[in-house]
Amino acid sequence: MSEEKLLEIRNLQVQFNTDRGAVTAVKGVDLDVYRGKTLGIVGESGSGKSVTALSIMRLIPDPPGKIIEGHIKFKGENLLDISLSDMRKIRGNKIAMIFQEPMTSLNPVFTVGNQIMEVLDLHQSHLSKKQKIAKCIESLDLVGIPAPEKRIKEYPHQLSGGMRQRVMIAMALACEPDILIADEPTTALDVTIQAQILELMNSLKEKMGMGIIFITHDLGVVAEMCDEVAVMYCGKIIEESDVFTIFKHPMHPYTKGLMESIPSFDSTGIEAKSRLKTIEGMVPSLFDLPKGCNFQDRCSEVTDECRGIKGPPVLEDLVAGHKAACFNPLK
Amino acid sequence: MNLYVYTLRRLLYIIPVLLGVCAIVFFLFSVVSPDPTLIMLGKHASVQQMEELRRELGLDRPWFIQYLDIVKSAFTFDFGRSWSTKQEISTMIKQGAIPSLTLSLPAFVISFVISITVSLMVAFYRGKFLDKIAVFGCVSMMSISSLAYILFGQWFFGYKLGWFEISGYDYGFPDFIPYVLLPILIWVILGLGPEVRFYRTVLLDEIYQDYVRTARAKGLGEHVILFKHVLKNALIPIITNLIISIPFLILGALLLESFFSIPGLGAMTLNAVNASDFPVIKAMTILTSVAYIIFSVITDICYTLVDPRVRLR
Amino acid sequence: MAAVEQQSKSLWQHAMGTLFRDKMAVVSIIIILFYVIMAALSATGIIVADWTEEVGPSYGPPSMDNWFGLDMFGRSVLAKTIKGTEVAMSVGLIASLLSLVIGVTLGAIAGYFGGRVDEFIVWFYTTFTSIPNIMLLVAITFISGKGLKAVILALGLTGWVGLCRLIRGEVMRHKDREYVHAASAIGAGNYRKLVRHILPNVTHIMIINFSLQFQIAIKSEVILSYLGLGVQGRPSWGIMIDDAKLELARGVWWQLAAATFAMAIVVLAFNILGDSLRDALDPKLKGK
Repeated sequence: MSEEKLLEIRNLQVQFNTDRGAVTAVKGVDLDVYRGKTLGIVGESGSGKSVTALSIMRLIPDPPGKIIEGHIKFKGENLLDISLSDMRKIRGNKIAMIFQEPMTSLNPVFTVGNQIMEVLDLHQSHLSKKQKIAKCIESLDLVGIPAPEKRIKEYPHQLSGGMRQRVMIAMALACEPDILIADEPTTALDVTIQAQILELMNSLKEKMGMGIIFITHDLGVVAEMCDEVAVMYCGKIIEESDVFTIFKHPMHPYTKGLMESIPSFDSTGIEAKSRLKTIEGMVPSLFDLPKGCNFQDRCSEVTDECRGIKGPPVLEDLVAGHKAACFNPLK
Repeated sequence: MNLYVYTLRRLLYIIPVLLGVCAIVFFLFSVVSPDPTLIMLGKHASVQQMEELRRELGLDRPWFIQYLDIVKSAFTFDFGRSWSTKQEISTMIKQGAIPSLTLSLPAFVISFVISITVSLMVAFYRGKFLDKIAVFGCVSMMSISSLAYILFGQWFFGYKLGWFEISGYDYGFPDFIPYVLLPILIWVILGLGPEVRFYRTVLLDEIYQDYVRTARAKGLGEHVILFKHVLKNALIPIITNLIISIPFLILGALLLESFFSIPGLGAMTLNAVNASDFPVIKAMTILTSVAYIIFSVITDICYTLVDPRVRLR
Repeated sequence: MAAVEQQSKSLWQHAMGTLFRDKMAVVSIIIILFYVIMAALSATGIIVADWTEEVGPSYGPPSMDNWFGLDMFGRSVLAKTIKGTEVAMSVGLIASLLSLVIGVTLGAIAGYFGGRVDEFIVWFYTTFTSIPNIMLLVAITFISGKGLKAVILALGLTGWVGLCRLIRGEVMRHKDREYVHAASAIGAGNYRKLVRHILPNVTHIMIINFSLQFQIAIKSEVILSYLGLGVQGRPSWGIMIDDAKLELARGVWWQLAAATFAMAIVVLAFNILGDSLRDALDPKLKGK
């Protein structure tokens, strides 16, 4: 069974101009997104995952940011080549995005209904007003908001965080997009609400046949939501595979470190009493990257090869369907 | 809380503030200030004459009574007569109000329109060269003394070019127009710097908010985002700021009226201060204070009406 | 394998770094220092001690010998302008410090203790604000006997309200923060909590406000001196502008130009510095 490939990203490079010089936040990222599948992008803050997502929507603020290399092909068409007005026809329509902070992501002075209508006015202007209002109510219903006819007249501050995130999802899905990009959508929410939202997203993916890009730093969420996982570090993808393989057999020492740092509840005996595991050291500043592999100063498997003679390691298929960028991958 | 109760409570606040204002006015002009009889009668006045005048003006009464007098006039708006011109102060105020308004009202409106237009442009082109020049321009304009603007304006536009009248005033529409044109122009220029800077800051604060990113992600164009999403939010602090500056229009512009010999309330006040004309000073101060409190309450009410977050609890 | 430890920079180090990388800010600081030095040199008589000397004809225009021309008494306008920096700098410095002390003290007390004390202080500054500033200034200067000290006093006693409000707001927010509760838990008293723990967190507001008050003070002094309430008997930019009123009709523009220019440069420098300080010190912007 082959799924439709919706998005193809090759060699994406994004540069930012800061007062301390130019810094490349995303260095040569390759990704594929398929219909009906969820791709997870995992990494710490500053790893470049959000920048990658914003690049797909061409939402990188310019200045100071710029996409300097690569192509992003949506159903065969390179999004980086089309005009800005054509891009706007795709935003919110074919590709939609939801963000981390539901509290601040909605405009406080307009009603919820008004904001959902806006998307429909933009992209589905052939519908009559009545039809659009019906669709608004339908969207809110779809995301599980009770009494949607009343809700559309309410303002964002009258809703709880979980409700607001549902509204965001409703707004994003109003035009039935092909791809949904979710940038840490549940990070700011309560754990119980988080579970509800994730469940909602999964069921909607099934129902609407979307491809989802799910960005997070929370491995628990990855395990629940994602089919494929790409791990990013310092602007590069350092490991990529399906979710089971990543968890069971991580090859890159960084990925292994991430897996090991998840505290385990069901260990007993000696393990239960030992310290929490961390990855030693800190993420290097993007202004001051070491030669060779970016992870060398924190890596348990580091050798001279990693320190720069050959340059940084390249992401390649070390095993079928499992890529890693490492000179000394774990077996 | 019920809006009416809230408004009432805030309006009642006028009372303690007014008492405080009266106290400050009293303290400054009765307790600390030099004896006005000296100024009024001149150096050669005899002790007897001074005593007489003091009694006439009621300056020999105990301080407590004098203070209460001030408070009484504050609440009844009966300010008595000016010591310099001997006129009824309420008459003077009525006469002076019109010229002041013919200057301050148009200046206020024109200033706002120009400033908001410029700041919208600057906000749209933020980060680009236009923006940087505009900010530097505003700050530079703010660094030049208002006196310099007035003097230069009078000299250049009035004297050298002869386009405008330099001083004087004519009552009645449209006779007063040539006399207020130059001061209005200067007022607008003086206000441009700080206003554009303030509006720009407010607009940019909103532009960098998350909801703007959401709006872009929905596919909205930059124009719509600025004029629909950003402006509506930005208008909240802008309007509140605008309303609270209205009471200060009463005094017109003290300096402008003085320089351009416009017989408004500002010039009247300045003359009174120079002449130690206590009743007039007292009257103008109290008037402005009352207006200030009333307008700050109006500002609060407007705020609750405009911002849905405050309106509905 | 060595784990590389990175030192995290403190707010001040980060601020200094950002500030000195900002070229405009550095230029502004240099300009301000220049004015301060000029004022000091002038006050101690090392330069322009002879400003009263008649060096040419009355109202002599700018020339190679006298860059800014001469005034009515044939005195060098350049010399007077430099002498005027003494007034400007001293007014700016002392008045702003006075406002700072009053504003921070009242604001901190109001914000920290709340209740009646807060109500009183709020009432106090509301009363102050409702009286038009220029009237208070003129009034206080007038009854304090005019002159430099009167101007400084007036400016100091009227310029504290804005800072007071800001500090009050900040202290109120910090009061309930966890680090203050933590300090209580180790037995810190009110004074200690306020001064040693909370106030350092509002220092950036104080600094930014100080630089802005400085230039407001300079501008206000000019207006007060123009109104005849400022320094007597020694040159100040305000008096020079006052003189210019009559001079302009005779085509004598150089005194107005010199005073305006001298003031505009230093005020501009303070404005730019204030903005740069805000960018550098605002902890919310750190890391952006």
